[in-house]
Amino acid sequence: MNVVELKNVTKRFDQFVAVKDLSFEVRQGTIFGLLGPNGAGKTTSIRMIVNIFAPDEGDVLVMGKHVSPDLQPQIGYLPEERGLYKKMKIGDQLVFFANLKGVNSVDASRLVDEWLERLTLSDWKNKKPTDLSKGMQQKVQFIVSVIHNPDVMILDEPFSGLDPVSVNLLKNVILDLKHQGKTIIFSTHQMEQVEQMCDDICLINHGTHVLSGGLKAVKRRFGKNTVILDYEGPDSFLSADLIKHHNRFPNYSEIVLQDGADAQEVLKRALSGGARVNRFELVEPSLNEIFIESVTGKASVSNGGGRQN
Amino acid sequence: MKKVLIIIKREYLVRVRTRAFVLGTVISPVLLLALIILPSFLAERGGGGERRITVLDQSDDPLLFDAIKARVESNGADAGEPGFGSGTRFLLQRQPLPSDQSPNDWIKRDSNLPGDKASERAYLILSPSVLENAGTEYHAKNLSDFSIRGLEESVSAAISERRLVRAGFDAAQISLYMKPVDMKKFKIDVTGESTEGGMRQDFMIAFALLFFLYITVLFYGLFVMRGVIEEKQSRIVEVLISSVRPTQMMVGKLVGIGLVGLTQIGIWAISTALLSSVGVAMFAARGAKVPSVPMSLLVYFVLFFVLGFFLYATLYATVGAIVSSEEDAQQVQFPVTMLLVVPMMIFGLVMANPNSTGSIVLSMVPFFAPTLMMLRIAVINPPVWQVILSMVIMLVSIVGLLWLAAKIYRVGILMYGKRPNLAELGRWLRYS
Repeated sequence: MNVVELKNVTKRFDQFVAVKDLSFEVRQGTIFGLLGPNGAGKTTSIRMIVNIFAPDEGDVLVMGKHVSPDLQPQIGYLPEERGLYKKMKIGDQLVFFANLKGVNSVDASRLVDEWLERLTLSDWKNKKPTDLSKGMQQKVQFIVSVIHNPDVMILDEPFSGLDPVSVNLLKNVILDLKHQGKTIIFSTHQMEQVEQMCDDICLINHGTHVLSGGLKAVKRRFGKNTVILDYEGPDSFLSADLIKHHNRFPNYSEIVLQDGADAQEVLKRALSGGARVNRFELVEPSLNEIFIESVTGKASVSNGGGRQN
Repeated sequence: MKKVLIIIKREYLVRVRTRAFVLGTVISPVLLLALIILPSFLAERGGGGERRITVLDQSDDPLLFDAIKARVESNGADAGEPGFGSGTRFLLQRQPLPSDQSPNDWIKRDSNLPGDKASERAYLILSPSVLENAGTEYHAKNLSDFSIRGLEESVSAAISERRLVRAGFDAAQISLYMKPVDMKKFKIDVTGESTEGGMRQDFMIAFALLFFLYITVLFYGLFVMRGVIEEKQSRIVEVLISSVRPTQMMVGKLVGIGLVGLTQIGIWAISTALLSSVGVAMFAARGAKVPSVPMSLLVYFVLFFVLGFFLYATLYATVGAIVSSEEDAQQVQFPVTMLLVVPMMIFGLVMANPNSTGSIVLSMVPFFAPTLMMLRIAVINPPVWQVILSMVIMLVSIVGLLWLAAKIYRVGILMYGKRPNLAELGRWLRYS
């Protein structure tokens, strides 16, 4: 069953078309990655799902129904731009937001205690946000989006600004929610996170659909055209006509082949050029590659080492 | 509806629980009371100080100075108008001056001499022809002392007296006929009944009500604006609007903060009412006059606060939705605050002629009505239809403004960065 469905949705602001004829479906119990560069129309799409904007054309369905205020309690939303009331205790804020989603005060205070415990924030219940670090505030904001036990959660950059321990904690919570049958829409620029967590993805650019489907299927579509090569020695072989481009990371290089080029040929040239090869692997392109190639129409250029997120 | 209540509750509790609210509620009436009572106390104790006046006497009548001195110094503390920094005691000193000498030269010389209290020296000139038809002159560095009015009356009476003596009237008769004629002032109330009252008391009450209305509407209006900016700047709106409609947010905020204001004003009104019934007698027994505020005025005050608050808070909420930061808001809120300030600049005109066509029209203009109609009610009793009409005009304006503000608010709270110009605002109205 599709929990969220956009059908040929268009949204304009004056002359500007933010979303154009966009369609995608989110299956129940999956983690869905909504991807796209800045200004692609992700936030506008999300705002239509949570009933902040109404589409100009097309249908936005949640649980098979057109979005309406009645559906809002079933949706949890962690916006990319988010905040807390500065002068209100953490516990009080969480109860307030839970109340707004229709949770009564008795249940709300129990849920607040449970969630604070789960995210190791119990000691901060009676503190104000100004006493909390940015990462802690992030976790509080995450609680705001899940406290009313929604069936659908929309998380926009949930991990930005978190330390690895917190990221891990949050990831486990999200996977837990997935196992409970919740549906999660995940919007991020961190392709690594998407590769780790998402079942399906949809990539949009300039408000329109670029590619979508199961993560594995999408990658397969691009074929095994990438070589992971860990080597020492001269890299003269890299400029050869076999290679579209390469990204050099500290521990290995990611080499994208020209269409129809043979990977074995690359290995041969590397060896004959005098390089020592420690690792040679033919893989599917990384999501990062797919993202950049799909969005810019050309693949990323060699950047001489820096790692991109 | 339930969501609006939740928002009202938050807005209310978050503000009422602050120390600033408690302090503001307690301290303001104490300050006001001090403002009203202190002058009366000071006047009673003659705390106004002394002023030495050199009388430059060019007249040929040595008795004139004695007459003036007797009147001025016996008048003492009642010479001034209590409540206006009064109670100055004048000490007169005669300085005969030949009629061919210029008193101005003398003053120029004397006032520049070093010495005690040089800046407080004052001079009264009695010209050679003062007993025929000439006036007098008072020279001093400070002319804003309200006691001067009392001095003028005394000097004028003394000169008239001397003129009459020289014309051959009997001294005993003169003092009998020259006794000031008292004019008691009566205020006619709604029922047509007259009660004795003073201009000063009316003025003080009217001004206090006007001033408090202005301050509270401004204060709570800005509260609303800051609340909107806080939610916008900290991006709390993003979370909120996935749960409630922007209009619900706005209405919840307006009502919640309005209730905070009502709580504060309610506390003030009750303490004023208590003071008026119990306190007046208490203070009167100790010799201080405290103006008592009629109950009906307090009720009107609360009504006009509610109307004024919703009128202006709606505008301030719109300002908050348009801008992205408090700094930005400084400019945009200016026209709104001006609307509130204008009545404070022209209230004197309305007070002097509360029933002129101009005053009536001004008190019907929705943005001026909260303050100016309140003022008219305090000064005179305007016909009931005028009061009701002004309230209806305000109510209609509030509904209209709310409708417009909701449209701007809906778009504005999600727009960050550059402040929109008027054309863009117009487009915002069409979006929604």
